[in-house]
Amino acid sequence: MTTMETTPNNAPERGGITNILVIVLVALSVALGALWWLTQPPQEGDPAVTFSRDMSYHHQQAVEMALLLRDRTDDPELRLILIDMALTQQAQIGQMSGWLEAWGLPITGPQPPMTGQMTHGGETMAMTPEMMGIQPQSEVNKLTTLPVSEAEVLFLQLMIRHHRGAILMAESTLSQTQRAPVTRLAQSIIAGQESEIALMQKLLADRGAQELP
Amino acid sequence: MSISSRRPRRGPAPGMPERRFPLTLVILSGGVIALVAILGVAIYNTTQDRAIATTAIEGVKVFPGLDRGHQDGAVAYEQTPPVGGPHNAAWLNCGIYEEPVASEYAVHSLEHGAVWVTYRPDLPAEQVELLRRQVRGNGYVVLSPYPDLPSPVVASAWGIQLSLEEAGDPRLNAFMRKYQQGPQTPELGAACTQGVGTPSQR
Repeated sequence: MTTMETTPNNAPERGGITNILVIVLVALSVALGALWWLTQPPQEGDPAVTFSRDMSYHHQQAVEMALLLRDRTDDPELRLILIDMALTQQAQIGQMSGWLEAWGLPITGPQPPMTGQMTHGGETMAMTPEMMGIQPQSEVNKLTTLPVSEAEVLFLQLMIRHHRGAILMAESTLSQTQRAPVTRLAQSIIAGQESEIALMQKLLADRGAQELP
Repeated sequence: MSISSRRPRRGPAPGMPERRFPLTLVILSGGVIALVAILGVAIYNTTQDRAIATTAIEGVKVFPGLDRGHQDGAVAYEQTPPVGGPHNAAWLNCGIYEEPVASEYAVHSLEHGAVWVTYRPDLPAEQVELLRRQVRGNGYVVLSPYPDLPSPVVASAWGIQLSLEEAGDPRLNAFMRKYQQGPQTPELGAACTQGVGTPSQR
């Protein structure tokens, strides 16, 4: 009689603690799992990955152009902005290569650079390197053959176009990803290159020249 | 009074439905489903096709143990076109060339991660144009005619070579995607500009 009376009291007590433990364990596992999921690297096709490759290719042309002109001009103000551009963008290329490597992805992707989709003004469209400010090699080559003063003007004209393309690409990426180091770099590129455009416009005006349409 | 009547009541009142058990089951099931989903994503991600880096391209030859030293003047290479070995201190700028280029510069570009696509000088114009279309817009590719090439088209990377019969072979694109700054690159991070040579296009 006594045994039968205490058993119903003891069984629910043990059941209550067990239930709480189970709930806590499951909640903890789900929380850990979610945390793990949120810290996973991006996969192929992720905007962060595409940005890293596309912007590296874009930066490579800026570095090329800046150093080609720096080999020829002795204008101190221009030489300073040229080395600044070259070193900053080369470092950013390194940064982006590092990300790809840390994400376990190859430097070169399944598509050539800047052949994917971009977002602008709320619309999505196919992008081309030209749309993103990549300058024709025939124009870049002129930096080495034109008289220096003309090469300086051409550089400023080409690079302003080049920068505008980089800003478009960075803005497009900001609308497509929230991944932290990528968004920070994209914002830094927008701010830095907008300010460089203003400086280059002044240098063009100093030379009595105009931006390209 | 019995013991049971003095202890606080645990569990539902008589006549009330048993609710604890289903709630735990619901939470448990929800948690298990969430964990299975997360595990599924994890497994899927790790089996993701890292196709570019890991898929073997049919017909590719590998040449290990290549020397990487700098050397002035002409170098006698073992392969035609060469895939590596001693090379000039200057590298060849990546891009599209209409005339043959000096191997001693191009080999240095291979060391920097470039893919060198060569074609017989007498290759039909539309094949050459098809090669240019495929190469254009890549950062680490050299395209140039190469006299006395053993095949119509040959693609090379450092220590790696693929002979092709025609420009439209899909393996050409696969080769470029896999080997530009690819795992074979001795000097990853090195540039393919600021060297020698003026390509007409890139």
